[in-house]
Amino acid sequence: MTDDKDVLRDVWFGRIPTCFTLYQDEITEREAEPYYLLLPRISYLTLVTDKVKKHFQKVMRQEEVSEIWFEYEGTPLKWHYPIGLLFDLHASNTALPWSITVHFKNFPEKDLLHCHSKDVIEAHFMACIKEADALKHKSQVINEMQKKDHKQLWMGLQNDKFEQFWAINRKLMEYPPEDNGFRYIPFRIYQATTERPFIQKLFRPIASGGQLHTLGDLLKDVCPSAITPKGGDCWFLMHCTHCSVFPQNLSLR
Amino acid sequence: MAGEEFFLGEKRFKQCCEDFVKHSQQIGDGWEWRTSKDLGDGYLSKTHFQVRNRHIPPDLKEKNNDNTEQMLFAHVEEPSDDSQAAGACSTEEVVRYEYHVLYSSSYQVPVLYFRACFLDGRPLTLDEIWGSVHASYQARLQEGPWDTITQQEHPILGQPFFVLHPCRTTEFISAVLGGSQQHHRNTNYITLWLSTVGPVVGLNLPLSYARLAPEQSTAVADRALS
Repeated sequence: MTDDKDVLRDVWFGRIPTCFTLYQDEITEREAEPYYLLLPRISYLTLVTDKVKKHFQKVMRQEEVSEIWFEYEGTPLKWHYPIGLLFDLHASNTALPWSITVHFKNFPEKDLLHCHSKDVIEAHFMACIKEADALKHKSQVINEMQKKDHKQLWMGLQNDKFEQFWAINRKLMEYPPEDNGFRYIPFRIYQATTERPFIQKLFRPIASGGQLHTLGDLLKDVCPSAITPKGGDCWFLMHCTHCSVFPQNLSLR
Repeated sequence: MAGEEFFLGEKRFKQCCEDFVKHSQQIGDGWEWRTSKDLGDGYLSKTHFQVRNRHIPPDLKEKNNDNTEQMLFAHVEEPSDDSQAAGACSTEEVVRYEYHVLYSSSYQVPVLYFRACFLDGRPLTLDEIWGSVHASYQARLQEGPWDTITQQEHPILGQPFFVLHPCRTTEFISAVLGGSQQHHRNTNYITLWLSTVGPVVGLNLPLSYARLAPEQSTAVADRALS
């Protein structure tokens, strides 16, 4: 279990050095310097970029500023994806720091969800947690929690408080001893090349014969094109926060 | 929470959609099934136009963000007929609605996705959508807007849509179906569900859909549409 906790901490504290540059067509009163920031992999762009917004708004007139949005090499970045996922999907092969362009005009309505307040991010985050628990526990664990527990999950994420977050999240990661695991594994497979944003299907952790399903089993079932024929290692995004190479026989439990 | 009868397997979802589309074709109601090219799953789709009054209900205004005022003023400045000259905030406008019905394997229910835009292409904002929710549902909406209708990414198209939350679906359906479920075993789940949740977001089903299933569901559809 100590190994697991180390992995959890590594995932939580993962950071991506990022350079934010104002889009050249934005109208400024003075030249805008780039802004550097270490972005937490597990968080969301609009949750952690208040300083970026303030920095660029200092050189712009109020009337030139509407909803902020971010773009990488022409692709609008979906703020509702965890930052680590965005980086792994779009920029993992390029040198650090990650260069993101900041916009304050011409919000791309067809590509991006609006994010007018932190409430929107909280609602999205909690919806993801709830859907995952619907798969793991038929929503029993999340529904039995009080509102203040839900708030603690969100505040833990917002304020980067590992212990506060995991005090509640560990309950969502448990299952009764008589079961051998979750009802279904909550997972999504993202590929940068498809119109479909992700693949998500019902998948049980235990096979009908009683043996544990592995990562390789899941990929074979759900996304066979991701597997190399020799069955060695493959790229996989775990919990949408952390890109690692895993052996295909990794148990999903 | 009520029993398994309120939940829908994916096979049954597809079958119900197929029957639903057949009836829609018979009465010219405009629904079609779209299959995705890559994984073979799909969704129901319908587009229609609505004339609506464009205004924001006063209660939601307080909860709105700064953009609302800008929206209202921007609207008043648009060139329009003479009734606008006085700066009136309410006017009739044509809105294009696109509704999609997708299947949620996580919640094992159908989910209603929709988007709306004015004829000039400008999409409606979440506030405008909240404002257009049917009066009977406004109280529930204002209790918890973020639990009811939010903007989300369409799971197949990857574009922003508004979504009526599936966890509330079971609540709505339970309220309508109430006690014994055995009458509804032969019911077209999509008809039942859509006639209940559709009106929340301006989507109404002609009564003839009730003929898809035994007479018990006519009463349900009547109640839902009244």
